[in-house]
Amino acid sequence: MAPFVIETEGLSKVFGQQRALDGVDLKVAPGAIGLLGPNGAGKSTFMKCLLQLQPVTSGSARLLGREVGREGREIRKRVGYTPEQDCHIPGMVGCEYVTYCAQLCGLPFRVARQRAHEMLDFVGMGQERYRRVDTYSTGMKQRLKLAQAIVHDPEIVFLDEPTNGLDPKGQAQILELVQSLWRQFGITVVLSSHLLHDVDRICEQIIIIARGRVLVHDSLQNLKARRRGEAEVVVSERHEELLSACRKRNWAADLLPNGHVKVVHGCDSLNPLIELLDELKLPPLEVIPSPNALEETFVQALELSRAAA
Amino acid sequence: MPLHDTSYKHWTGAHLGVWRRRLTIARNGVAACLQNRWMRHLLLLCWSGALLMALALFAVGQLLVADSVVVEWVGNFNPRLQTFARMLTTWLEEHPEISVRTTQNVLFYYFSTGLLKFSIFAIGMIIPVLITRDLASNAIVIYSSKAINRGDYVFGKFATVAGLMGLAWLGPVCAAWFVGNLLAPDWRFFWHSRGALLNVLLFGICGVAILGFLALGVSAVSSREKSTSALWYIWWIVGGIVSQIVAEVLPWLRHFSFNYNLEQIALSVFRLGDDLKRVQDNIPIFGDMLRNVSAETMSMLNAPEFTGAAVASCFMMGLALAIVAHRSRPE
Repeated sequence: MAPFVIETEGLSKVFGQQRALDGVDLKVAPGAIGLLGPNGAGKSTFMKCLLQLQPVTSGSARLLGREVGREGREIRKRVGYTPEQDCHIPGMVGCEYVTYCAQLCGLPFRVARQRAHEMLDFVGMGQERYRRVDTYSTGMKQRLKLAQAIVHDPEIVFLDEPTNGLDPKGQAQILELVQSLWRQFGITVVLSSHLLHDVDRICEQIIIIARGRVLVHDSLQNLKARRRGEAEVVVSERHEELLSACRKRNWAADLLPNGHVKVVHGCDSLNPLIELLDELKLPPLEVIPSPNALEETFVQALELSRAAA
Repeated sequence: MPLHDTSYKHWTGAHLGVWRRRLTIARNGVAACLQNRWMRHLLLLCWSGALLMALALFAVGQLLVADSVVVEWVGNFNPRLQTFARMLTTWLEEHPEISVRTTQNVLFYYFSTGLLKFSIFAIGMIIPVLITRDLASNAIVIYSSKAINRGDYVFGKFATVAGLMGLAWLGPVCAAWFVGNLLAPDWRFFWHSRGALLNVLLFGICGVAILGFLALGVSAVSSREKSTSALWYIWWIVGGIVSQIVAEVLPWLRHFSFNYNLEQIALSVFRLGDDLKRVQDNIPIFGDMLRNVSAETMSMLNAPEFTGAAVASCFMMGLALAIVAHRSRPE
């Protein structure tokens, strides 16, 4: 496997007066990659440029070690994609549709049919696979989109807002499936979302894009490490006592609406906080280090970008 | 709880080539067309026509041999007609290459152009299946994210039209030629009628190319199924009539009708004028009869507007291709 699955140099895409991508330089290693950004930041455009769904204005890109623009068919044999918008091939039932998608990627019919059923099992679709796609609910369509994206066993799969329109249970199920793709089966996942919680839950690498530029590209672990001086403590009682003890040590402390106590202790490890809890004889239910690291990094990155603009 | 393993499995087989992927699109398109009940009825009608054509060829073949069953049978009703038929067959026997070639060329001209109308009608029914529905359901994005490019997609859709025209038009015509000559009294009929078959194939290729591209172009104009079907029929029927009327003032406007262009191409390919002249020169009895053919008819048969039809068809195909290329972009 290539050391980098995505490599771009000065990748730009211009729509009329607007620069959707502005000189994106990236080298992304395999893994579960979260592509974050506000609406209109350029996340979908970035994906589409890599998949050649949109022509690049300038710059170059390599996907899975192959030049995008020259080896489109070969690249797409090894890539899966679930678009954000509702799209399907009309007049087909679910299993026919997934079989057809596999055939379009070069799988022989028998293999395609078998894998279509396996993937529909994998995404949790039952007998509804024999119904026409046009009659599916949003949740079923999202599952079907995931099935068609992975039916040909890609090395990398691009998921554009895969939890859109789903209820919390459906979201959790889809995210669990997506998570398993990398952790259990070694398929690199690029998850584009504006929902930080989704990305925080399953991704190891984070790319934050805004105004067509990459603001942050780092592992989630590093991003959290940058904000080590914070923690949320969950206790069942004596909140006020904990708050005053923290303040005595000159740590900023607040009681959050959800009952957690947010403490800015400013230390590299949680040990001083644990010691304090020990002194108070206050057993915590949970201590969450750097609880909003991703959100805060995201907001900070956006603010810096806005200020620079 | 599932009774089998529902986890993800990797696949390590070899991928099929791009031609198989293009054919997959075509096969899927033809299958979608055949889901329409009226389309299946229309195909049945076309193949019934082919059967009738084969029977007609059998009857004509019997007229072209001396010990013809048909000539003997005619004697039961009209002895004078039988005498005429015997005289005719004597001449025809002397020139089998001319008699077989000419009769089959004329018959296949009318059969091909007649059956083409059914094919054009059938295309109107399947136009939404080509690109219109894909536009309506954003399926272009799905196609574009697979291991095919826009050219493969367009080729697959073109092959869908070609496949349907093969089923509704070229297939029945070629089958009629084969069965008709199989039933002929002499194996040499296959050889003597080869010109007719080649003309059928040549005209078939031109027809499939022109109608295929035009159908794709019309199909890509809108994402509403009724609109594209209606546009096709309006262009075919109303366009044909209006262009004939307007052509009184501006003759080149006749080429606006793809049906007129195809008729001119058919006349150029089958060259019926040459056949008539050959018959006049070699079979005196026909020479006398064909003197009555009007000069206007002979002129039309001998000098069809091939160049105008070809240029207009190429222009329309180019325009259709430009529409398809523009509309089949994923975004």
